[in-house]
Amino acid sequence: MKVNTRNFVQTAEREMQNQYARAFLALMPPVIAALRVQVMGSFPDPEAAQELGRAIRAEAVARMPDLLEEFERNAVAAGARVLWARDASEANELVLSIARERNVTEVTKGKSMISEETGLNEAFKNNGIEPFETDLGEFIAQQLERPPFHIVGPAINVPVEEICDLFMKKAGMEKATTDPVELGYAARLFLRDKFRRVRMGITGVNVAVAETGAIVNVENEGNIRFNKSSPLTQVSLMSIEKVVPTMNDALHLVRLLCRNCTGQGISAYVSIDRGPKMKEEFDGPEELFIIIVDNGRSRIYEDVKMRQVLRCIRCGACLNLCPIYSKIGGYPYGWAYSGPMGQVLNPALLGVDDTSDLFNACTLCGTCREICPAGVDHPELFLYYRELEAEGKKMSSGRWEARFFKLWGTAAAHTGLWRFFYRLVRPVVARYGKEGKIKAMPGPFEGWFKTRDLPVPARRTFRDRWRKSMSEKNLSRGGME
Amino acid sequence: MGAVSLFIPCTVDFMMPEVGEAVVRLLRRLGVEPVYHEEQTCCGQPAMNAGYPAEARKAAKHFIETFGDDEVVVSPSGSCTAMVKYHYPELLRDEPSWHGRAEELSNRIYELSQYLVDVLGVEDVGASFDGTVTYHESCHILRRLGVSRQPKVLIKKVKGTTFIPMDQADACCGFGGEFSFRYAFISEEMVREKVDHYLKSGADLLIISEPGCLLNISGYLSRNNPDKKALHLAEFLAGVQEGGVK
Amino acid sequence: MEESAREEILARLRKVPKEETPVRPVLPPARELSLDKEGLVSLFTEKLSRETGVVYRAADRDEALDHLTEIARTENLKRVMTSTDDTILSLDLPAWGDRNGVAVSTAADYVDREEYKRAVFDEADAGITGADFAVAETGTLVTAHSERQPRLLSLAPILHIAVVGIDRLVPVYEEALNAFYGDGGRIPAHVTLITGPSMTADIRATSFKGMHGPRRVMVILLG
Repeated sequence: MKVNTRNFVQTAEREMQNQYARAFLALMPPVIAALRVQVMGSFPDPEAAQELGRAIRAEAVARMPDLLEEFERNAVAAGARVLWARDASEANELVLSIARERNVTEVTKGKSMISEETGLNEAFKNNGIEPFETDLGEFIAQQLERPPFHIVGPAINVPVEEICDLFMKKAGMEKATTDPVELGYAARLFLRDKFRRVRMGITGVNVAVAETGAIVNVENEGNIRFNKSSPLTQVSLMSIEKVVPTMNDALHLVRLLCRNCTGQGISAYVSIDRGPKMKEEFDGPEELFIIIVDNGRSRIYEDVKMRQVLRCIRCGACLNLCPIYSKIGGYPYGWAYSGPMGQVLNPALLGVDDTSDLFNACTLCGTCREICPAGVDHPELFLYYRELEAEGKKMSSGRWEARFFKLWGTAAAHTGLWRFFYRLVRPVVARYGKEGKIKAMPGPFEGWFKTRDLPVPARRTFRDRWRKSMSEKNLSRGGME
Repeated sequence: MGAVSLFIPCTVDFMMPEVGEAVVRLLRRLGVEPVYHEEQTCCGQPAMNAGYPAEARKAAKHFIETFGDDEVVVSPSGSCTAMVKYHYPELLRDEPSWHGRAEELSNRIYELSQYLVDVLGVEDVGASFDGTVTYHESCHILRRLGVSRQPKVLIKKVKGTTFIPMDQADACCGFGGEFSFRYAFISEEMVREKVDHYLKSGADLLIISEPGCLLNISGYLSRNNPDKKALHLAEFLAGVQEGGVK
Repeated sequence: MEESAREEILARLRKVPKEETPVRPVLPPARELSLDKEGLVSLFTEKLSRETGVVYRAADRDEALDHLTEIARTENLKRVMTSTDDTILSLDLPAWGDRNGVAVSTAADYVDREEYKRAVFDEADAGITGADFAVAETGTLVTAHSERQPRLLSLAPILHIAVVGIDRLVPVYEEALNAFYGDGGRIPAHVTLITGPSMTADIRATSFKGMHGPRRVMVILLG
C-alpha cells in the first residue's frame, strides 16, 4: 500500500472540510462506543475481562518465538503448509508463486490487514492476477483505490452516490440506486459469482492458536467463510504476533475483539481452521497455506520499549474514542492503519522519519490507553517515538529544537537561570498584549491565536507575589516558620 | 497538620499567578499553612513531551532536590502531578539512588482536589456561590490520576451552587501543549466542541482543575464568548466568597 | 528461501532478553454458568432473536417436522439441501420432502464438487443443517464441519435452518469448543460459530442482513 503519512496535515485539513465525513464521524464513533459499554456489561467484571485480555497479549508477545514454533508444529501436523516471509515482497512472492503454480487468474480476498501492509493487491495486478476484496467496505475502498477510512468500516464515509457510480461502472449494477441495502445486494450478486468460481481464496488471521495449530477469523459478512469453503486453495496470511497459547485464550480475545470493535457480543461468524479440509469433506480447501509474515516486526521486537505495539489486536476501539480521529477520519494517517492504532503501528513499521505527524498530532489524553483490551500504552509509545525523532534532529535540520531543549534543561535545573530567562522572554511576548490579553502573535504560536486569546505573561509571577505576601504576613504576624 | 509544600506549575507561575494565590488562600482558610520553595522550576513535561527525556531528567532531579524531603506536595495541576508520580521513577530507572527518591516522592504528591478530599478529608471548604456550575474532566486528572469524584464533591458542597453535568465532560479539550499551536486547526475544533457543551449545559460557570485546559478554554471563551467564564477549581473555592470572579 | 526466513525471524526473536509473562487475573465465573435448562433456552432465544434469528421449540421429531412444513409453506421452499448428521437423519427429510413437495438433496447426491457447488449456490432455497452445540451466551450455533456437515450449507443459501437437540445447549463457547479440541477424538478441520444471519453495515453504517450469506437464520430446538 502506498505510504502517504507525510501528508498528514494537508489531508487532515482537507478532510475536516468534508462535511459528509464530519457528519458521519460525529455520529458513528459515539454510537459504537456506547454499544461497547453496554455489551462489555455482559462480563461479570468488565475491567477484569479487559485485564485478562491484556495479560494474554503480554504473554503472547513475551513468548512469541516459542508460541510460533508450537503453532507451526501443530498446524503442519494437521496438514497445513506453513511458510515464512521476512518482508512484504517475500510475502507477496510466496502468494504469487502459489497462484502461478495453480494457473489462477482471479483470487478473492477476505479482509487481511497484513496484506494491505504488503500491498498484495498491487502485486497481484502487476502479475496479471485479478484480486477481489470481498468484504463490502474493502471492496469499495479497493475499487476507489483509497486507504481504509476506519478499520471496521473502510469505506463507511463514502457517499452513496459515489458508490452507485462505482457499482454501475465496476460491479455490473444495472439500475442506479442510492439505497445502501440495494447497493449491498448488488455487491452480493457480483461477488457471489466470484465466490462460486474462485479457485484460490486469501484470508487474514485474527488469532492463531499455538496448542492446536488453528487459525481463527472473525467477521460479519460471511465473505471469509466463502474464502475458506469454496476454493480449492486457501492462503491465510498472519503477522508474527497473532499467536496466543491456548484455544481458551483465543476465545477470550474473540469476546473482547467483538465487544471492543463493533460493540457486538460476537460477530455473526467466527471460523476456525486446523489444517485443510479432511479428505471426505465435500467443500473446503484441499490445501491450506499459512504465511507467517514478519515485515519489520522482529526488529520492533528487539526494541524493548517498542515491543508492546505488537500486542495490538486491531479491534479499533481506540479509533472510536479518539478525539482527534473523530475530527479528521482515517485518511490523514496515510497507510493501512488509522487512528491511535495507526499512530502506534505506522511509525513502528515505517520508521519515525516518515511518520512524524502521527505521533505528534496527539494531546496525550490517554483515552486509547484506557480502552485498549490488548494493553497497548499509546501515549508512552508516542513519547518514545518523539524521543527517537529528537535523536535524529540533534544531527539534522531540527538542531535548533535540540539546542533549545538543552538550554531549557539547564535552566530547569538552575533556578536563577530559569527566572532570568523568564525576565528576558516576558517583554518580548508581552508587547503583543493589549488590556491583559494577547490576540495575535507571529511565530510558532501563531496558530493558537486564530480562535483563542492568551493572558499576557505576568509582570509579577506567582513567586513574586508569594514573596510579597509572605513578607506582609511576616510583618503582620511577626514571622511564620 | 504537617507541612504542605506547593508545586506551582509554570503556566500558573507565569500566566495565571492568581490561581496560585487562590491555592494559598484556600489552604490557609482550611488551616493549612503552605510552604513554597522558591527554587522550584518546571516538572519537565515540555521536554518529556517533545522527546527530550534527558532534559526532562534534569528538571526531575532539580524537582526531587527541591521537594525531596517534603511530607506532602500539592499541585493545582494533574498533568504535573502525573509527571512526577509516573514518569519520574521511569526516567530515573537507571540511577538507583535517584530512582528510590523518585519512587518515594511519587507517593507523596497530590493534585489539589485529591489532597483536599482524600488526604485532608475536607469536602465543604466553606465557600459560597449563587449559581450553576459545570466541570471539565481534564485528561490527566481523570485518566492518569483517576480523580473525578473529588473536584465534583468540592463543587457540590459550595453553598448556593447547583452542579450541572455537561455532555462529554471527559472529552479532551484539545490543549496538549505543543499540540495546541502545532496542530491548531484540530485543536481549535476540539476546544470549540468543549465550549459548545459548556454553553449547552446552561451553567453559569465552568470549573477546571488543570491549568493547561484552563488556558485553552478561557482563551477560546475570551475570544468568542467573553460573557462566559472558566475558573480554576482553586479560584472557585477560594475566591468566589471574597468578591467573586476576578 | 522459506527455511532461511524462518530461521532468521526466529533467531532475531530469540536474541532479545525474555520478558516475564504477567500474572493473569482470575475472572468471576460467567453468569450463564448458573442458568438451568430453561434459563439457557430463554437466553439463547433472546440473544439470537436480537440478531433477527427465529427460534422454534419442538418437543419431538413430529413437531420439528411440523415447524419445517410451516416454514416451507411460508417461505415457498422448493429445493433444500441438508446435512447428514444424526439429528437431521433422524428427521428423514427426504420423506418429509416427498410429502410436502420439496426437493431434498445432500452434497453426496452430486457427481462432483462443481455440481454440488452449483446446487448449493444457485438452486437451494435453504440449507437445513444440524449443529453440534447451541451456545446460550450469545445465541450461537457451533458446528464442526465434516462430510456430514458441509461448510456451504449454512452459508450459500439465502435461508439457513438449523435443528439442534436441546441437550446440545451449553452456556458458554468453551464447553462447545473443548469438546472438539480437548483430548482424544478426531479434531475437526473447520469449526464455525454462527450467530444470526450474514450482515454488514459498511455502506453509510446502514445495517442489513444477507450481505453474502443467509438473510435469515431459523433454529429449531428439539426435545
